[in-house]
Amino acid sequence: MDGGKRRGRVLALLATEGPGVDQLCAACVGYLPGVTGASVAVLTNPATRHTVHATDQLGERLEDLQFTLGEGPCVDAFAEGGPVLAVDLSEPQYLLRWPVFVPAGVTAGARAVFAFPLQVGAIRIGVLDLYRVTPGALPDTELADALVFADALTWLLLGNGHNGAVVDRLDPVAGGRAVVHQATGMLRVQLGVSIDEALVRLRTHAYANDQPVEQVAREVVARRLRFEDMDD
Amino acid sequence: MPRGPGLVDAFVELADTLVVGFDVVEFMHALSGRCMELLGAQAAGLMLADQRGSLRVIATSSEQARLLELFELETEEGPCLLCFRTGATVGDSDLSRDDPRWPRLAARAREAGFQSVHALPMRLRDEIVGVLNLCYASPGPLSDHDARIGQALADIATIGLLQERAIRQRQVLAEQLQSALTSRVLIEQAKGVLAERLQITPDVAFALLRAHARRYNRQLTQLANEVIAGSTEISSADG
Repeated sequence: MDGGKRRGRVLALLATEGPGVDQLCAACVGYLPGVTGASVAVLTNPATRHTVHATDQLGERLEDLQFTLGEGPCVDAFAEGGPVLAVDLSEPQYLLRWPVFVPAGVTAGARAVFAFPLQVGAIRIGVLDLYRVTPGALPDTELADALVFADALTWLLLGNGHNGAVVDRLDPVAGGRAVVHQATGMLRVQLGVSIDEALVRLRTHAYANDQPVEQVAREVVARRLRFEDMDD
Repeated sequence: MPRGPGLVDAFVELADTLVVGFDVVEFMHALSGRCMELLGAQAAGLMLADQRGSLRVIATSSEQARLLELFELETEEGPCLLCFRTGATVGDSDLSRDDPRWPRLAARAREAGFQSVHALPMRLRDEIVGVLNLCYASPGPLSDHDARIGQALADIATIGLLQERAIRQRQVLAEQLQSALTSRVLIEQAKGVLAERLQITPDVAFALLRAHARRYNRQLTQLANEVIAGSTEISSADG
């Protein structure tokens, strides 16, 4: 299935399920046969965790363990900015990598953990953890779907409160247009805000003016549009 | 320009990047430049599978906005997309014929000054992990010689991406592809930050980033992170 169709399917699912983080996690688990649970940790840095959502107690336990121990697939995914796909926690390589987390995680009931950072480049807001009580890799199609769910979550969590916008506007940033990322960087400097906030402001402006994010980004990069503490 | 010795140099240079401190986006960028020189193309670019079913641009021989946009369009329509889907080398030797399979691309490519485009697959065993895209100002097919060299360069790109010796598991491939794509986003953001700070264009900002990274022996991606965070200053004198 091509990327566009895949995003379309996930978005259609989210439109019926509802746009909250809890609903998104539940939808993800329901949609992916290779996953028995999902949890989301929202972090500003590895030491500061704001919220956690989990579809079951195992998810809560796994999040708590990793946060307390400071090690685990979720921690690595956030720190390194790339997914960590631990197919079978009982494999020696994982015990070496997370010597305290692995025995505790396995005791709690997890055997496979797939952690996806929720990010847009330098904007890193948390991690989506998918797990299974039995070992085994995530099949390619499920991996693809999981990545799209992670994109949707990132978009949602970078929220501007306009839930309609989440579903409509998933594509531009998820599609990865260079101009959008460049505009984000420029706004970070123009407004003197964090890079996360810069993207929120870009999106908010687009939504308020009923324009695609990409179009606003072009205006910014071409220097036809400056954001200098406009009230959006 | 002699092709033989240049090719050997290119392989040696690329082999040098496969060491500690290696940066995948810098590597892809250098390789795009080499592809352009060695294959006589006017522009070259590399695209990677995003693992969601689509292609994303990872590096191009020029950071000019118009070229970037053309390459982004090629991830949606054209020989690159067909190459990605079929795993075969695909080309359009004469864009003026307006191939009905990619009308938008043909028009935009001609506007950018190209008359032919050719796409070669980056293949890892059974999987297509990306595409090498070549754009030429004159029409014509890819010669057998250039097709062989081009495929060798595409294979180097694949190996460079998967720098670990024993990449057997799909998981590692998946992790590496996503990391590479994230690095590219980071660099685009850093380009924006630097462009605004120094009041320059994003492509000039990229040149400064690369020059600074080389001069101070820094990893490009790590430098990009620091520029965004504001913890490293880059001046126009670094260019």
